[in-house]
Amino acid sequence: MENAKDTFYITLRNRLTSVNPNRTMLLRAVRRPGILVEEAEAPAAKLPLDVFVLRWTAVEMDMQLPSMLVRMTCEIHYTTAGTQANGGLDRGRALEEMDAELLQLLSPMNAQKMNYTTTQATAMGTDVFWTVPVFDSVKTLRDQLSRSVTVTVFVFQEQGEL
Amino acid sequence: MSTTALTVMPPVTRRVRAYFAPVDRVNQKPAIFDPSSSGQFSLDAPLSPWIDLGWIEGFTRQSTSKYAELATGMPATTQYQMRESVDATVSFRFKTWSKLSMALSAGSQHMNLLSPAVGATANGSGSKAVAPVNLATGSTATLLAMAASDAATFTAGSMVAVDVDYAGQTGFVGSGISATYVQSATSVNSDADYVRRVTFNVARVSQVTSNGLQLAQSLIASVPTSSMKVQPLLGFVDREGGSFFQEWSALFVMPGEQGERILFHYPRLQALAGAAEASTPLVAPLERIALHASFRAMPVTDANDGEQVVCFRSFLPSAMTLI
Repeated sequence: MENAKDTFYITLRNRLTSVNPNRTMLLRAVRRPGILVEEAEAPAAKLPLDVFVLRWTAVEMDMQLPSMLVRMTCEIHYTTAGTQANGGLDRGRALEEMDAELLQLLSPMNAQKMNYTTTQATAMGTDVFWTVPVFDSVKTLRDQLSRSVTVTVFVFQEQGEL
Repeated sequence: MSTTALTVMPPVTRRVRAYFAPVDRVNQKPAIFDPSSSGQFSLDAPLSPWIDLGWIEGFTRQSTSKYAELATGMPATTQYQMRESVDATVSFRFKTWSKLSMALSAGSQHMNLLSPAVGATANGSGSKAVAPVNLATGSTATLLAMAASDAATFTAGSMVAVDVDYAGQTGFVGSGISATYVQSATSVNSDADYVRRVTFNVARVSQVTSNGLQLAQSLIASVPTSSMKVQPLLGFVDREGGSFFQEWSALFVMPGEQGERILFHYPRLQALAGAAEASTPLVAPLERIALHASFRAMPVTDANDGEQVVCFRSFLPSAMTLI
């Protein structure tokens, strides 16, 4: 399952660099594309602004198939307060921009599964695929707008894969 | 030493596993499963000739035997019963698609989509194929020995059909399993590739070496003969229609949670319907597509008493339960 989670994240991260190369963040002193996996970073009280945060929640397995079919729920959270230059009055536009970007990141809705634990990432035999995103309603907290999007990610476990 | 017996419990099971074996169509001999000697076989390692088709879903058996009664007297009362006919059907869904599961559920001939020759005329079940490759000596069930120049025409990951040339014969054709029945050479256009077009002797290539092709799975007809040839294939095709009825022996196993086992053995099954699929929603619009299969059970003679029967149901109780 870890290969699938890694593949999903790296796929979205790589797509983000072409969809919006300006969406970056400074994390642990490194400038990176503005997307992160919550469970792979230090715990934080607040989600960073203008960044896509992937949160893995539920997992189900169909073990009655020769290759186990795993379905994992990924919540993608993002929050924006708009830009300082516009005094935050563009926060609605900023959120809509992130909605549109996310749609592009998730399309096409599959990717070849990769093993990133090897020094040179190696391609595996199956694809990771996912559902159309389900957009939750906007949540407002003071000057910030937040949205949560749910995607179900599917993967067949290959022989010997953890 | 004595052990306390347990009171009888209802069998609890969660799934059904299917095994099939080819019927020798030429000699009309089905594969017979003996539950007294093999009933507790390892589900992951079935005995030859049984082929594991994995866990299935929607397993449904139905007896359609007809009964009649002989009534006498006034008012009439039934004095005797008799069986007018013996008939049974079985249906289920294969969860996965493979050459075998697709062929079993197709109801008629199942064909391999051989790689087409350049410029071949389009045809619904595949056009004229590229030329086959000869085998060299030293082939095994998992290694196709051939000249290095021939091996170089294949790639790792490709699929191959391995069988003899069609040479005008009539009757059942196909190595290992009777794949179809040829009525006349003209009906198959005397196509030298026809046997490879229908054969079950197919496999995935895992590695190409200068010695030949290493296969990822064993050939169903085991070690190839020197007269067999190899052709690349791209997939499979079946049709609604056709005159051939596949016939297979089948075994279905319900493993119980307490170690008991229920087995259903159908020595002869023939398709009852054409190809159909069943979809199971995952998360809309994603669906898992299963192969629907339904069969009619054909009779065999039980050697113990000469009775004509179509199905054997066996029950192997769990340890120390009262019987």
